[in-house]
Amino acid sequence: MHKRREGFRPFEYLLFAGLTFVTFAVSVSLGSVRVPLPDTVTLIWNALWRLPLPETAVSPSIILAVRLPRVLSVALTGAALSLCGGAMQGLLRNPLADGSTLGVSSGASLGAVIAIAFGITMPSLPFAGTMVMAILFAFLSLIIILALAYRLDYSLSTNTIILIGVIYSMFVSSIMSFIITYASDRVRQITFWTMGSLNGSSYGNALILLGALLVFGGVILLHARELNAFAIGEDNARHIGINTRRVKLTVMISVSVLIGVSVSIGGTIGFVGLVTPHMVRMITGPNHKKLFPASLFGGAIFLMLADLLARMLLNPVELPLGVVTSFVGAIVFVFIFHRARKTGHA
Amino acid sequence: MLKVKDLTVRYGDLTILDQVSFHVEEGDWLMVAGPNGAGKSTIINAVAQGAPYTGSIDLAGRDIRSYKAHERARLLGILSQHHYFNYSFTVEEVIRLGRYAYTPGIFSRPREEDETYVREAVEMTGLGPLLGQSVLTLSGGEIQRVFLAQLLAQNPSLLLLDEPTNHLDLVYQKQTFGLLKEWLKSPGRAIVSVVHDLGPARAYGSRALLLDKGRLEARGPIQEVLTEENLNRVYGMDVFAWMRDMLSQWQR
Amino acid sequence: MKHKKLLTILSGLILIALLIAGCAKPETPDPSQSESAPAESHPVQSTEPADQSITVTDMTGRTITLDEPASRVVALTAADCEILYAIGAGDALVGRGEYCDYPAEVLEVPAVQSGAETNLEQIIDLDPQILLMSTMAQSEEQVAALEAAGIKCVVSDAMDIEGVYTAITMIGSLMGKDAEAQAVITSMKTTFDEVAVMAESLSGKGIYFEVSPLEWGLWTAGQGTFMDEIANLIGLDNAFADISGWSEISEEQVLERDPDLILTISMYFGEGPEPVDEILARTGWDTVSAVKNGLVLNLPDNELSRPGPRLAEGARMLFDFIMDHESVLDEAA
Repeated sequence: MHKRREGFRPFEYLLFAGLTFVTFAVSVSLGSVRVPLPDTVTLIWNALWRLPLPETAVSPSIILAVRLPRVLSVALTGAALSLCGGAMQGLLRNPLADGSTLGVSSGASLGAVIAIAFGITMPSLPFAGTMVMAILFAFLSLIIILALAYRLDYSLSTNTIILIGVIYSMFVSSIMSFIITYASDRVRQITFWTMGSLNGSSYGNALILLGALLVFGGVILLHARELNAFAIGEDNARHIGINTRRVKLTVMISVSVLIGVSVSIGGTIGFVGLVTPHMVRMITGPNHKKLFPASLFGGAIFLMLADLLARMLLNPVELPLGVVTSFVGAIVFVFIFHRARKTGHA
Repeated sequence: MLKVKDLTVRYGDLTILDQVSFHVEEGDWLMVAGPNGAGKSTIINAVAQGAPYTGSIDLAGRDIRSYKAHERARLLGILSQHHYFNYSFTVEEVIRLGRYAYTPGIFSRPREEDETYVREAVEMTGLGPLLGQSVLTLSGGEIQRVFLAQLLAQNPSLLLLDEPTNHLDLVYQKQTFGLLKEWLKSPGRAIVSVVHDLGPARAYGSRALLLDKGRLEARGPIQEVLTEENLNRVYGMDVFAWMRDMLSQWQR
Repeated sequence: MKHKKLLTILSGLILIALLIAGCAKPETPDPSQSESAPAESHPVQSTEPADQSITVTDMTGRTITLDEPASRVVALTAADCEILYAIGAGDALVGRGEYCDYPAEVLEVPAVQSGAETNLEQIIDLDPQILLMSTMAQSEEQVAALEAAGIKCVVSDAMDIEGVYTAITMIGSLMGKDAEAQAVITSMKTTFDEVAVMAESLSGKGIYFEVSPLEWGLWTAGQGTFMDEIANLIGLDNAFADISGWSEISEEQVLERDPDLILTISMYFGEGPEPVDEILARTGWDTVSAVKNGLVLNLPDNELSRPGPRLAEGARMLFDFIMDHESVLDEAA
């Protein structure tokens, strides 16, 4: 029996990174305003090496200050949400588990909305209030959802997962409605959280996403083997010597931070964590050592394409990104549900 | 190796196990028998730290709760009764996870020795041809063997088996009992298994526990526990007559 | 789940919805009336000399007859409240929609839920003679129920400045304040004439209206909005005239269209930079003429988004701002 590498091989990394880069290049060169490809390339190249910017037909800021940071934020958000989806699907042993289907994202946006409605801010860091509250509420939501799940049905069947997602989302949306009534003068800000968009993302946003992804995404990647065991069964994971409580807590915290950061920057962008891991799993199989790296790249690609569609479809009018992902996501959701019911245990 | 004292498991007002005490020594094969609902599987769950309990469980001279998860798994292996999969992991991936206890955490790397144990486990269970196959395509018996292989790769000194031959056809039942008997011959090992089938229990076991409604009815050497009198009392029927009747079907 | 979310968004958008004049025309609430009114009807006031009875045709073509000028009114939209106060009939207001906030006195009037959550019991309990409302959220069933309770429903639904005049005239008739109504209209017309004087020299200057700031997704007001109409009156080009109504747009489009002026209607909640400073500080916007020249104005009090008399004030504020910065604006050309 030969020894096989379970993780990504170098050429696989190269392939996925190459695909991501191509999508990235396309996303940056296409957009609401037409910028010729050579101009785009020279602009970015010169900006990278701090060369003087060339004379181009359009303002350089369109590429450098608007499109580039936005596409970067989109790619990083896609990667983070997909990784979270993959991790939750492993932890709960269910391919339908995801931040948006379970209501964790809604919980995070509730945190952000509460921060805004009650003016919870951190002096000197105007954005931190919503972010910390979003992370905190994402974590609380996960705890509530897991407690409900184990109480209702220890085997965490698909029906239970969907049921809990519906119940929890309705619960959150009722509180949200209450707060909207309470703080009606801020309603316009609050609606942002229900349909995400990365319109107007800055390099600062991208940097925060990158930082969160490096630290907490890294933690999730390093727990690929433990999550493999969870995906086979939590009891089995404990039997083979995994500290299931510690792993569960670590993964939950990481997922909460990533979802909280993503939601506070881009609002609720649903179903990314459902669609990407599902598609990636068809190529790589369920082993998280491959699934996670592939989901990172796949999520970035998926969300960049969705964002491109949101920007281009009704130009110059923009669609909220969440509309595009939810549209695709709902279809994939039905597909997975149907398959899960067909293949035995549901 | 294993000392269980006053083990009690309650869910709300319901008492599943009531002050059960027993111990397992090296070389023992302890058969846990009793009718449905006697609490047989619960004993395994409690020892595996999968159910809340009161009382004490000592493993190799220390309270079992004082072990780290991977330390415990090096000494104690568990085969559950029910398995199902949601993802198409390969047979090999599932078996390899059995080595987790020796390479726990984030930074440990697999060693040559891990390969040896996995290879031996695969050989013993005859799963070689199935290694690359998705677990979603396996039959119940094959899945049972995959987890048995994972358990053997884990190489603990004490096995807790919850109906190990469940789902297995006669050929594999016989093979599995033979395999476990061989495994037990190495020094420092012991097995506790929950059984329904009293014939093999008597044939392979060295000692037995007889449970009824969460209470210990008898314990000791297998011949002293699985007696006509004990079984008739616990099962509320003439067990031996039934078994003789079944056997006689073949003599017509 | 999605449906619920949609509802949340809808209810969240009430405020915006109430302010938008340029959205799709909803179905006409049409209770059992025998005579079919002409489609293009303007309110006809036919105050008969003998008694005080008043007949008006509301803006959906329904005929409403009152025996005498109304003395108890509930108005659901902010604009109608403003009109009532402007013609000196604020005393007759016994109930208001929850989002009505101008003038300050209106806040002392009991509020009723409006929009999608319109609460009929609250309205009936206030015992008004007429209910002023828009066609946005009230269903035919609700109108029928209110009429059954003896409350006359009058729809004001101005889509443009001409429509606002019509609404003011109509409300003036209902309240017996015809002269005051005409005075308000005349004053508005005078203002609009005054702000149009620079139209020729301003031609070619572009203005971008920001309805929602970058952080929550950029929204602008396109064709068919009051902002668009007023920009044209003053002589400015709406940078997003190719869009109709209010809509979310790409940030890069603003940079590409390089407006000479920016008008934001964002409210300030006391955290972070104020709306004008926030726009001036945006990365990449330093290439936009309006930002380069500091020509960013904030009108946070719905002056330009409500179909009411204050449209003229808003137009005046924008015009004065342009006058104050005329030299900068000229230089930029």
